[in-house]
Amino acid sequence: MQVLLQTLIGGITFGAVYALVAMGFSIVYRTMGLVNFAHGSVVMIGAYAASTFYMATRLPFAVAMVVAIVVTGLIGLIIERFLRPLENKDFTLMLIGTIGFGAVLEALAILIWGATGHAVPNPVATEPIDLGGVRIPTYSLLVIGVAALATALLALFLQRTKTGAAMQAVAMDHEAATACGIHVGRSNATAFAIGACLAAVAGSLIGPMLYVNPTMGGTLGIKGFAAAMLGGFGSMPGAIVGGMAFGLLDAFAAGNFQEYSELVTFVVFAVVVMIRPMGIFGEATVNRA
Amino acid sequence: MLRVEGLSVHYGGVRAAHDVSFTVVPGQSLGIIGANGAGKTSTLKAVMGLAPRQARGLRFGEVDLLKAAPHTLVRHGLGYVPEGRHVFPGLPVEKNLLLGAYTSSWKQTPIDEVYELFPVLKEMRHRLAGALSGGQQQMLAVGRALMCRPKVMLLDEPSMGLSPILVAEIAAVLKRLNDDGLAIVLVEQNAKLTFEVTTTCLVMENGEIAATGTSADLRHDPRVRRIYLGL
Repeated sequence: MQVLLQTLIGGITFGAVYALVAMGFSIVYRTMGLVNFAHGSVVMIGAYAASTFYMATRLPFAVAMVVAIVVTGLIGLIIERFLRPLENKDFTLMLIGTIGFGAVLEALAILIWGATGHAVPNPVATEPIDLGGVRIPTYSLLVIGVAALATALLALFLQRTKTGAAMQAVAMDHEAATACGIHVGRSNATAFAIGACLAAVAGSLIGPMLYVNPTMGGTLGIKGFAAAMLGGFGSMPGAIVGGMAFGLLDAFAAGNFQEYSELVTFVVFAVVVMIRPMGIFGEATVNRA
Repeated sequence: MLRVEGLSVHYGGVRAAHDVSFTVVPGQSLGIIGANGAGKTSTLKAVMGLAPRQARGLRFGEVDLLKAAPHTLVRHGLGYVPEGRHVFPGLPVEKNLLLGAYTSSWKQTPIDEVYELFPVLKEMRHRLAGALSGGQQQMLAVGRALMCRPKVMLLDEPSMGLSPILVAEIAAVLKRLNDDGLAIVLVEQNAKLTFEVTTTCLVMENGEIAATGTSADLRHDPRVRRIYLGL
């Protein structure tokens, strides 16, 4: 029982990060119908930006996170600006463009930080909380709390603000949105920037849990992508559920199958997607491609 | 007010509309009728900048529409009701309407006037637009276009897929709006509805204007019958 609960906590913690990555994929896909293959690399840049700043300045971790958000937000805007001339012209080239940006970001990270990577100290160095024999690391609580906050803010933005409503309108019907006076390009840029900010939050949170290195974007990108697909690509609740499911699956597979854990995780994923190709919340997704 | 001169639309090598010219003066109601594929929708889309276009001139008041970005047209008072309604299905009715007023402050929109015109939208304001019936969605699309307080409203096939009762209802609303001073450009396959609502009409055939005249004259014109029936 204790082992089960302990695994559960680890799974939820990683699940929260996967959910953030999946939400980043989904918000861009919803708005533009585009899978941003550079997203994993943006997460990696976020992890580097936050950890480098945190270790260099010793300022609170929250400040480092804000710095990472600003850095990746700008990267998101740059990617969108480069891809914009292709919108409605060549969709395949846009997709390839995002793959290219991913490679560029990875190369940039190697140039700036080297190929080996670095470990990040735990920003909340307090004893784990003991709950009837189950030890809950305080950092896990921080990760879950921050992820929940980011999710709530995003939901508020989409539902309560004019820009959020406009973004949803573009996602549903970009021609009608244009006729309403909404600038589709600007809305896409906002989606990209928000996706990148979510990537920064995910990256900075995962930094102290993993080893920050230039190729981590690939692993996290694939997990987040698969999580988004599991939940139903483009659906925000789906991204959260998919992320959590992946985190838990990962944790239990690691506990029971050791070195085969990744294999088990992805086989389960493949089976679910075969049975339900549209994902768990699939019917709610928007198809614009 | 709206002046279209020599407008052509090509999709790749396919010609959808060729050398279309017309003007709309304030308060006018102009109909564009023709069979399926005559180029009516392409003409409207091209005016809105939503289709690839060429023209000798395309002006709306002081604005050169050939230079204006599509999303700025609303601000100048050009309302557009697209073919097939195109409401935002996953958003509530009220939000759909508010998005029609995206370019102005949401604190002072004509939403009460729209609700007065279409009371059913007020009843349904918290429902998702995708859950409405076809007729209600059409009212929503018209209402959304009215939210920007347009001077000219372009409507594309508002009667499509609606029952005769609903078509009559839409016709009554359009007449009322026109009486209140709104200029209307109505694109329709339903010639009867168009003759009822408008004073002047263009008949399009194979992407070109085949006939023009007052709606009263065209109603009895044998050419219209020929174009429609392909005789």
